[in-house]
Amino acid sequence: MEKIDLRNVLPDVFSQRTDLSSDIWMQDVSFEKGMTYLVEANSGTGKSSLCSYIFGYRNDYSGNILFDNTDISTVTVNRWVEIRKRSLSMLWQELRLFPELTAMENVDIKNKLTGFQKRKKIREWFEMLGISDKENVKIGRMSFGQQQRVALIRALCQPFDFILVDEPVSHLDETNSEIMGRILTEEARRQGAGVLVTSIGRRIEVNYDKIFRL
Amino acid sequence: MNLVWKLLRQHISIPQFSGFFMANLVGMVIILLGVQFYADVQALYDSEDSFMKSDYLIVNKKIGAMTTITGKSNAFSQDEIEDIKKQNFVEKVGMFASSSFDVKASFDIQEFASFSTDMFFESVPDDFIDVMAENWHFVSGEKRIPIILPRNYLDLYNFGYAQSRSLPKLSEGILGAMKLRIAVSGNGKYDVYDGDIVGFSSRLNTILVPWEFMDWANKEYGKSTAVSPTRMIVEVNNPTDENIASYLQEHNYVTDQDKLDASKTSFVLRVIVGIVMSVGLVISILAFYILMLSVYLLVQKNTSKLENLLLVGYSPAKVSMPYQMLTVGLNVLVFLFAFAIVICVRNLYVGMFRSFFTDFNLPSMWATVVVGVLLLLLVSVSNVIAVRRKVMSIWKGKNL
Repeated sequence: MEKIDLRNVLPDVFSQRTDLSSDIWMQDVSFEKGMTYLVEANSGTGKSSLCSYIFGYRNDYSGNILFDNTDISTVTVNRWVEIRKRSLSMLWQELRLFPELTAMENVDIKNKLTGFQKRKKIREWFEMLGISDKENVKIGRMSFGQQQRVALIRALCQPFDFILVDEPVSHLDETNSEIMGRILTEEARRQGAGVLVTSIGRRIEVNYDKIFRL
Repeated sequence: MNLVWKLLRQHISIPQFSGFFMANLVGMVIILLGVQFYADVQALYDSEDSFMKSDYLIVNKKIGAMTTITGKSNAFSQDEIEDIKKQNFVEKVGMFASSSFDVKASFDIQEFASFSTDMFFESVPDDFIDVMAENWHFVSGEKRIPIILPRNYLDLYNFGYAQSRSLPKLSEGILGAMKLRIAVSGNGKYDVYDGDIVGFSSRLNTILVPWEFMDWANKEYGKSTAVSPTRMIVEVNNPTDENIASYLQEHNYVTDQDKLDASKTSFVLRVIVGIVMSVGLVISILAFYILMLSVYLLVQKNTSKLENLLLVGYSPAKVSMPYQMLTVGLNVLVFLFAFAIVICVRNLYVGMFRSFFTDFNLPSMWATVVVGVLLLLLVSVSNVIAVRRKVMSIWKGKNL
């Protein structure tokens, strides 16, 4: 997947609003592979909705979203499964980890599906993010900040052309936020992938090619 | 799959699934036992008369003192035959044809004894003779005549004659292997045939030969024109029908009450087995319902996990698999247990059967296996589809 296009996209909940001024909604926007984008937003402007639309999780919007000029509303279930496994990764704001499983199991459940990352690499990331002692701790017992780091590692356990990261550092300190940014850009560069980051204030510090205001 | 199972087995309710297991087991056992019992009892009837269909009656006119004195014929007229054919309880009517030539039969039991007797033949249309059809043929020019003897002839010999003369007892098998010497004469002709006993009937009190032979022999050796039939064989659709008895009485016909009773028993048995099996079926349907509810509840409770797995990149097929395996596994287990129970129960009642009926061929269990497997497939396929649809509804749930 080389390109994601948004054409006149508007969440249904905003359809009555007249005072909308946004770089994304009701605009023609392109995200290209290999580039890094930041979408800055105030709370309630539809940041998480944007991610959900692109990820095919929700479709309560008007307008069109296209992957390489194919409207995603026409994409089949099997194709979506492939896309989520091979082309598009997502770090959810609400993380969507499994509290019953340990940190490592949460990563494994993805990596066993894709077989993409080596165990050594995963351990290295746990180490870098300062949670290597939490590998075998149940997610339910970890702080939100720690969980965010596990969720990032899980998001990197697959090949992707684009990675969407929805408020990845909301609960992280400067140092960890910086390390996370480094891991993310490094892996994205290695894969030649596009990165789309959203933020409502604190943002992950990487070099953005373009900044949108939602 | 391990981790997925670890996740999805959360909220599995053991009591609910054991409830399903027990309920479905009861239902399945009742159904399968019904099928098996029916097959076994049917075999019991069949072993009595493997070549006759069950629901038939033999009807003749009552012979009273006046019949003998006045010499009035006890044969059925064409009108009477047509009339009985029209009755609602009648499926099919066949006339007995009797031989109009002389028959003499003789046979030797090794060196012990030899018998020779005048006798007669009768025939009924071949479609009243059920099994062993391959033996039940006569080709003109051949010297073999297949014969069905009344079983009480054999009893008469074994328990009367052989007993009093210290002669060896004969089993049906031995007698079947022996050949009768049949001398047929009439019309100035005389021929000897081999009588081949192909079976014994406890329901037909006559010596039966194939219709083909009778037809041919009556022309060949017959004295005169065809004799009017004095007995008819009637297939009825429901032997418990009261109209049968009243019709027979009204026209002064008689039938062997025992036969009517046996048919009634068989018919009632069929109805009872049918009812019992329906009860089993209802229980099974309810059990299936419990299982579906349990699975739906489970899916409902684990909705967020299932949804997250789908978002992580698991396909709906992979996510559905654990619950599909769970339900199919349970169904297979129920089937195996049910089958084991049926085998045990069957051994109990077959032992009882054997003490009453020595000549009882145990039928195979194929019918039961087939019914069980069909039920298993039906239930499992519905489970698999239902789980898949539920998971797909989660997939679509957010795609409003």
